[in-house]
Amino acid sequence: MIRTEKLTKTVPTSEGLLTILKNVDLDIAEGEAVAIVGESGSGKSTLLGLMAGLDSPSSGDVVLDGNSLVALDEEERAILRGQLVGFVFQSFQLLPSLTALENVMLPIELKGDPDARNKASNLLSRVGLEKRWHHYPNQLSGGEQQRVAIARAFASEARILFADEPTGNLDTATGARVIDLLFELNKEYATTLILVTHDERLAEKCGRKIKLVAGEVVSDRKVEEITHE
Amino acid sequence: MSDAALTHKRSFLSLFRLSLTLLWRDWAGGELKLLFLALVMAVTSVTGIALFTDRLEQALLLESANMLAADRVLSGRQEVPRQWITEAASQGLQTAETISFTSMVFSDTANLLVSAKAVSSSYPLRGELIAADEPFIRGIPVEGGPVPGEVWLESRVLPALDIDVGDSIYVGEAELRVGKVLVVEPDRQQGGMVDNAGPRLMLNLADVPVTNVIQPGSRVSYRYLFAGDEDTLDVYGAWLQEQSEGQSRLRDVRDESEEVSDALNKAESFLLLGSLFAVLLAGVAIALTAKRYSERHYDYVAILKTLGCTSNQISVIYISIQIVLAAIAIVVGWFAGWIIHHLILQILSSIIVVDLPPASFQPFIIGSLTAFICLLSFALPPLLALRHTSPLRVLRKDIDQTKIGAHVPYIVGITGSVFLILWYSQDLVLTSVLVLSVAAITLFLSVVSYLLLRSSSSVGMKAGSAWKLAMSATRRRRKQNVLQVLVFSITIMSLLVLTLLRTDLIDDWQAQLPENTPNHFLMNVTQSQVEGIQNFFDENGIEQNIFYPMLAARLNSINGEPPRSRFFDGEEERGNITERGAQQAEQGDADDAVGQESASEGSDSTGSRGRRPTRQITWTDILPPDNQVIAGQWWDANTPAGMVSVEADYARQLGINIGDEIEFEANQQTFTVAVQSIRTVRWDNMQPNFYFIFSSGTLDHLGATYLSTVLMEQEQKILLNDLLRLFPTIIVIEIDALIEQIQNIIAQVTSAIELISILVLACGALVLLSCVNATLDERFRENAILRTLGAGRKLILTSLLIEFASIGFIAGIIATVGAEGSLYYLQEFVFEQDFHMHYWVWIAGPLIGMVVIAMLGINSTRRVVNVSPLNVLRQL
Repeated sequence: MIRTEKLTKTVPTSEGLLTILKNVDLDIAEGEAVAIVGESGSGKSTLLGLMAGLDSPSSGDVVLDGNSLVALDEEERAILRGQLVGFVFQSFQLLPSLTALENVMLPIELKGDPDARNKASNLLSRVGLEKRWHHYPNQLSGGEQQRVAIARAFASEARILFADEPTGNLDTATGARVIDLLFELNKEYATTLILVTHDERLAEKCGRKIKLVAGEVVSDRKVEEITHE
Repeated sequence: MSDAALTHKRSFLSLFRLSLTLLWRDWAGGELKLLFLALVMAVTSVTGIALFTDRLEQALLLESANMLAADRVLSGRQEVPRQWITEAASQGLQTAETISFTSMVFSDTANLLVSAKAVSSSYPLRGELIAADEPFIRGIPVEGGPVPGEVWLESRVLPALDIDVGDSIYVGEAELRVGKVLVVEPDRQQGGMVDNAGPRLMLNLADVPVTNVIQPGSRVSYRYLFAGDEDTLDVYGAWLQEQSEGQSRLRDVRDESEEVSDALNKAESFLLLGSLFAVLLAGVAIALTAKRYSERHYDYVAILKTLGCTSNQISVIYISIQIVLAAIAIVVGWFAGWIIHHLILQILSSIIVVDLPPASFQPFIIGSLTAFICLLSFALPPLLALRHTSPLRVLRKDIDQTKIGAHVPYIVGITGSVFLILWYSQDLVLTSVLVLSVAAITLFLSVVSYLLLRSSSSVGMKAGSAWKLAMSATRRRRKQNVLQVLVFSITIMSLLVLTLLRTDLIDDWQAQLPENTPNHFLMNVTQSQVEGIQNFFDENGIEQNIFYPMLAARLNSINGEPPRSRFFDGEEERGNITERGAQQAEQGDADDAVGQESASEGSDSTGSRGRRPTRQITWTDILPPDNQVIAGQWWDANTPAGMVSVEADYARQLGINIGDEIEFEANQQTFTVAVQSIRTVRWDNMQPNFYFIFSSGTLDHLGATYLSTVLMEQEQKILLNDLLRLFPTIIVIEIDALIEQIQNIIAQVTSAIELISILVLACGALVLLSCVNATLDERFRENAILRTLGAGRKLILTSLLIEFASIGFIAGIIATVGAEGSLYYLQEFVFEQDFHMHYWVWIAGPLIGMVVIAMLGINSTRRVVNVSPLNVLRQL
C-alpha cells in the first residue's frame, strides 16, 4: 500500500545541509497498522509528512497505492490525499469556524457526495458525539475534539490513516479512550494505519513497530516478535 | 449530465457553501469586519462623492449657465450671418438672441440714460426672469421676456421717470408700455459696459427696428445664446470655428468669468484630490486587513489541503468569500453613499438655489468598480498567496509561508492605485506627478523612519521597566514598525494636507470676496466731480473708497528695448475687471468683433509701431489693499516723482527688474520712469487693480479720469438715480449681482469641501485602526507570555502605551515634513496659491500622531491584560 524508496530529507541551515531522514526503505501492506517511534527530533513526523504527500523528499520516492508521489505535483497529491488518506493530528486541526458536524461533513462534501450530512452525523454518533453536532471546536473538550477529528478522518472513506501523536494533547484516561476508538474504527473500516508516537504502550497496539534514530530506521519488527522476546 | 460533471458541480457547490459558511463564521468572529468596513468606506466615499459631485457639478453648471442665460454664448459688436443661427437650430440646439445698447428714454416729465436690452421670445434659455407688477418688491419667476410693444423696467427707473406700471415711455421713436418691473435677469453681468452702465430696460427684439436707435456706429452688443446637450454644443462649436476661420468661438461661463472659473477649477481639483485620498486610504486599509485575514487563514488552508483541497479550490473558496463580501459592501456602500450625499444636499439646501437634476446611475457604477479594483489590487494578492500554503503546516507551525513573490502585492497594489488615479483624474500628467511624488515620499519616509527606529543592538526584552520594555519591543519589531510608521505617516500626512489645503482654500476664498466687498464701480469721474461725489456718499451714509486717477498709457520700451512677451503672441492674460471696465469706457465694448478674444487689447494692430501693450495706469501714495511689495520698496513722502511699481507676474513676463527704465506714452506725451518696486496683486478680488502704479507727481499734469468703488446695499440702490442725475457723465458699473452669484458658488463648494474632508478623515481613521490591528497578534502573543511569566498589568499597558506613542510621534514628525512639502507643491503648482509654512502643525502633527496612535493602540490591545493569558494564546 505504501512503499518508500531511499527516502531522504535534508534542509539547509546556516551550518550547511542538515539530514533529517536518510535512505529510508519501507514497505507497508494494505490493512497493516504500523507505529513509527523514536525520540523527539528523530524524524518521525517528517517521515509521516513525506508518506502522506504533505512534503516533498530531497531524494528517493514514496509510492502510495501505486502512485509515485515524486511524479505528482502538489495539486495531484492533494487530489490523491482526498481520495486515499485521512489524518488525525496531535493538535486536532479542526476548522474553528465550523461546527463538529460541518468539520466532519467537509471531506465528504469536497468529494461531491450529496449525502454528506447523513454520513457525518452517523460517524459523529459512532464516536459518541451525537449531542455535540452543533458545537464549535472551542466548545468541546480535547478528547471530544480528537473524536471529531477521528470521525472526520474516516468520513472520506480513506484507505490509509495517518495519525501524528493522537494522544499527545490528552490526559492518560482520555487518550486511552480515544486510542481504543481509533483502533476500533480502523478495524471496522479496514484502513492501513500509520501511527507516529513516542508512547511505547500505544505503539504496542499496532502490528508493526518501526524505530527511527537520527533519521535512520534502526529497527522494523512485528510487535508480536518483540513481545515474544 | 455525466457522473464526473455532476460530481464536479456538487464539489463546486460544496466549495461555495463552505465559502459562505466561512464568511458567516469569520464575520461573526469579527475577522472580516474591518475588511468589510474598509470596502464599505471605499464604496461609500466614492459613491457619495461621485453622487454629490455629479449632482453638484450639474447644479453648478446650471448655476453657471444661469449667469449666461445659456450653455454657450457668441457675442460681439456685429451681427453674425443668419446661417450660423439656423445651423444651430437645425442641429437641435435651442437659440435666443439679445441686443444691448444704451439709450435715453423719456416719460412725459423726465428722461434717463438706460442700458436697454432687446430679447427674443425664447430668452432666457437657462435661469429665469423674475418680474413684479410694482417696483421694489421681490417679484415672481415669469415665462419669457416682454411681448412686442411692451418694456420692463428696473424698479429705480420708475421713480426716476415719475411713472407707474402701465404708463408709456419713449425709447427712440417707439412708444412702449411699461408691462412689468424687472427684478432679476440671469445674465445681467455678462454683457459689455452697455449692459451695466445704467438701470435696465428690457424690450422685445421685434421692437428694435421701430425705435430706430441703432444707427451705424452705435455702441451695440449682440449676444447669441445656445443651449443643448454637451456633445451637440461641441459639434456646433467646431462647425462655428470652421465657418468663421477661427475668428469666432462659443464661450462658456469659464471664459466669461475668470472669478467663477477659478473657484470651480479649484473646487474640482480639491474634490478630485479628496476622493483620490479617500479611495487610496481605503485601499491601504483593505490591503492591511486582507493581509491580516490571510495570515490568520494559513492554518485553515493547510487543513483543507490535507483533506484533499487543491490550490484552485482554495482560490475558489477565498475569491468567493471576497466576491460575496464585496457585493454586500457595494450594496451597503451605495446606500450609505446615497444617504451621505442626501445629508450634504440637506445641509446645503439653503445655498443650492437651483433644482438639482436627478442623479445618474454612473456614480453607482463608479462605486462598484472601485470596490472590485480595490479588492483586485489590495486584497487579492495576499489572499492568492493562501493557495501556496504548504499542507505541512498541520505538522509544523514554524514552516515559512510560501509567498507568490515578495514584490507581487506591492506591484499589483501600485498598478491598481495608478489605474484608480488615472481613471478618476483622466489626466496622465497629474497621475505621473502624483505617483512619482508618492514614490519619492515613500522612499524618503522609509529611510527616515528606519533611521529613527534604529538604535544600538541589545539583548533580551528588557522587561525590568515599561520604558525599556517598550523600546526593546520597538527595536525587535523594527521591520514591521517601519511599515507601520510609513502607513501612519502617509495617512496623517494625507489628512494634514487635506485639512491645511481646505483651510487655506476657504480662507483664500473668504478673503477674495469678504462680506463688505464694494459692489459698484464708478468710472469716468472727472477731477472736479470727485469732491461732490464724496459729499453725496457722506450725506447718504455710504462708505466710500479711494478715488484712483486713471489713464491709458502705452508701454513703449524697457531699458530702450521694445517690450517682448508671450502676452503679445496671442496668449490670453489674466482677467482684470479694472482693465476690462476701463477699456469699455475708453474704447466702447471689449469685444470688437464677434467672439474675438480680447488678447489683443491695447494693441494697435501690427503696424509700424509693432504690438505694444496699453494699460490703465494710476498713481497713488497708498499701497492698494491686497497688494504686497515683494521686491524694492513702496514709496514714502520723500520719494521723488518718476517712479513706478510693477505687478509681479507682468514684470516677470516682460523681464522687468528693479531699477529698469520704462518709457510710456499717454495723451501724446512720452515719459520715462524707474522701477522702484514689484508687487503681487490679488486679481480676483473684484476691486481696482493696476499693472503699473506711479509715484505722485509723475503724471499729475497729464489729466485723468477717476475710478472708485462703493458698497451699496439693495435698498440703497435707489440713490443711484440721484447720483446719476447730479453727475450724468459718470458711469456706474453694477457688479452686485455678479458678486452675489460668486459668493453663492463659493459657499457651495466650501461646504462640499468640508464634507469631503470629513469622509477622508473617516477613511484615514480606518487605515490607522487597520494598521494597529495588523501587528496585534504578535503583540498579544508576546504580552500573554510576559503575563504568564509574572509581568503586571500596569507594566504591560505602560510599555504598550509608550511603544504606540513613540511610533505615533515619529509618524507625526515625518507626516508634518511630508505634508508641508506636498502642500508646497500643491499650492504653488496646482491650486496657484501662495505657500506659507504652517508653524502650528509642526507641534500639532507629532502630538496628534502620538495621542491618536497611542489611544488606538491601547484600545486595541487592552484585551491582552483583560483576558487570561491562556485564552489569548489559545485564540492565536
